[in-house]
Amino acid sequence: MSLDFSWLSDSLYQRWLLTGIGTTLLMSLLGILLMMVFGIIGAIFLHFRTPVLGTITTILVELFRNTPPLVQLFFLYFMLSSLGLSLTDPATGRSIPLFSGFTCAVLSLGLYNGALAVEIIRSGLIAVPAQTVEGARSLGYTRFQTFRHVELPIGLRLSMPAMTNNVVSLIKTSSQAALVAVADIMYGATQIMVETFRNLEVMLLIWLLYVVIASLAVWILRRITILFRIPGYGVDRP
Amino acid sequence: MTLSGSRPLIEMRDVRKSFGTYEVLKGISLSVNDGSVVCIIGPSGSGKSTVLRCINGLIPINSGTIRVGDFAVETLKSDKALIPLRHQVSMVFQQYNLFPHRTVMQNLTMAPIQVLGEDPRKVRDRAAALLAKVRLTGKENAYPGELSGGQQQRVAIARALAMEPRVILFDEVTAALDPEMVSEVLGVVRDLARDGMTCVLVTHEMRFAEEVADEVFFTDRGVIVEHGPPATLFKSPSDPRLKDFLDKVL
Ligand SMILES: Nc1ncnc2c1ncn2[C@@H]1O[C@H](COP(=O)(O)OP(=O)(O)OP(=O)(O)O)[C@@H](O)[C@H]1O
Ligand SMILES: [Mg+2]
Repeated sequence: MSLDFSWLSDSLYQRWLLTGIGTTLLMSLLGILLMMVFGIIGAIFLHFRTPVLGTITTILVELFRNTPPLVQLFFLYFMLSSLGLSLTDPATGRSIPLFSGFTCAVLSLGLYNGALAVEIIRSGLIAVPAQTVEGARSLGYTRFQTFRHVELPIGLRLSMPAMTNNVVSLIKTSSQAALVAVADIMYGATQIMVETFRNLEVMLLIWLLYVVIASLAVWILRRITILFRIPGYGVDRP
Repeated sequence: MTLSGSRPLIEMRDVRKSFGTYEVLKGISLSVNDGSVVCIIGPSGSGKSTVLRCINGLIPINSGTIRVGDFAVETLKSDKALIPLRHQVSMVFQQYNLFPHRTVMQNLTMAPIQVLGEDPRKVRDRAAALLAKVRLTGKENAYPGELSGGQQQRVAIARALAMEPRVILFDEVTAALDPEMVSEVLGVVRDLARDGMTCVLVTHEMRFAEEVADEVFFTDRGVIVEHGPPATLFKSPSDPRLKDFLDKVL
């Protein structure tokens, strides 16, 4: 068996791959932002035991955590497109769907990994020593100020290791976006395979690309962890 | 008790507090005069920490009244309503309870700026002076985790002072310290007491209590069994429970 990578010199395939990488990176980045927003908001509702919203959060977290992310993506995609919401493109005057495959993919990543993030951030908040909280309360901090200035900053730092795993999981999960026609890495790869039949070689390359992207993400998150490390505090030693 | 007509700064009357069905405070009454030093001693679990927490509203009480200055503490329900009280009543804890993610300087300035809304520059000047007072000049940019226990506790005292309180509550502030660090912290407390700061100390350091206290309260199982000036209380205790306790700790 010999491996043939000559197709890599084709500029069309190069373009597909580069577009794919860009799309995967953008989708992951937006997904991570959304995941953090959902994670923090959900953790706030649970942390303050907000009556109705807390219960809703628990239900949603269980729902998204315990169902396959691919099913969630398809559900979002078909549900939102059947709602038929659309915008008019101001430049061309054409009607475009409000929820493209890309939007759905980002939304689904934000929800699925956001549900995991809720639990991760909450564990971090629980790990903040009660004494530290009491110190803030005794100085007149309100419950919300204590959360904002003491519990959240410490809790987020404590949740960094678990959050790093969650980000890697999000990047990997993003590859299913190809199934709703988002032109990400996987999508480009599938197209190249259809044209060249070099399935093994293409998949080897894709595998390598994901390894590089995930490692890069881990490296960046480690830098952030170190940057925000609390000197002399017993966590997050590099 | 002083004979002067001025009313005490802190007055607790028949305070009761239960956790669930377990009654921790069974009618505590005590008063603290402005500028005086009061020590609370007693066996573990007798409710000493709970008394302090009630005074600055960290835990609500079931019945009775607590007055600090002009505040009826038991009527203050919301966080916002408690801010003026906590401005007047600072607390120092056994475990220091500093903010680990903030520098020493930030630990001192955070609450005056974020809670009291004071001018950051003024607060920083005041904080620098307080750090000098607790002999920690030069540690402004260190994090609590980089300091020894004794140093952290002195930061905590400076942080309490940065609020410019009328009274400071000390809850066994030397209990977590290695013996060689106890004296440096007690030295700071002694200085405060001499300067006329009103102090309520829960302590197991009987000799220190004897030295600095104007009045000592002995608690056991949620009641104040005996109180009086340290000379009387330590030298000629009348209650058998206090005698027993002193035999064990002295
Ligand atoms: N938040 C709480 N919930 C339930 N029980 C509590 C709580 N806080 C204190 N207690 C109980 O109340 C009793 C008195 O506690 P407290 O901390 O006031 O005692 P203490 O005199 O300060 O003891 P120590 O010398 O050990 O610090 C103890 O039996 C304790 O278990
Ligand atoms: Mg105690």
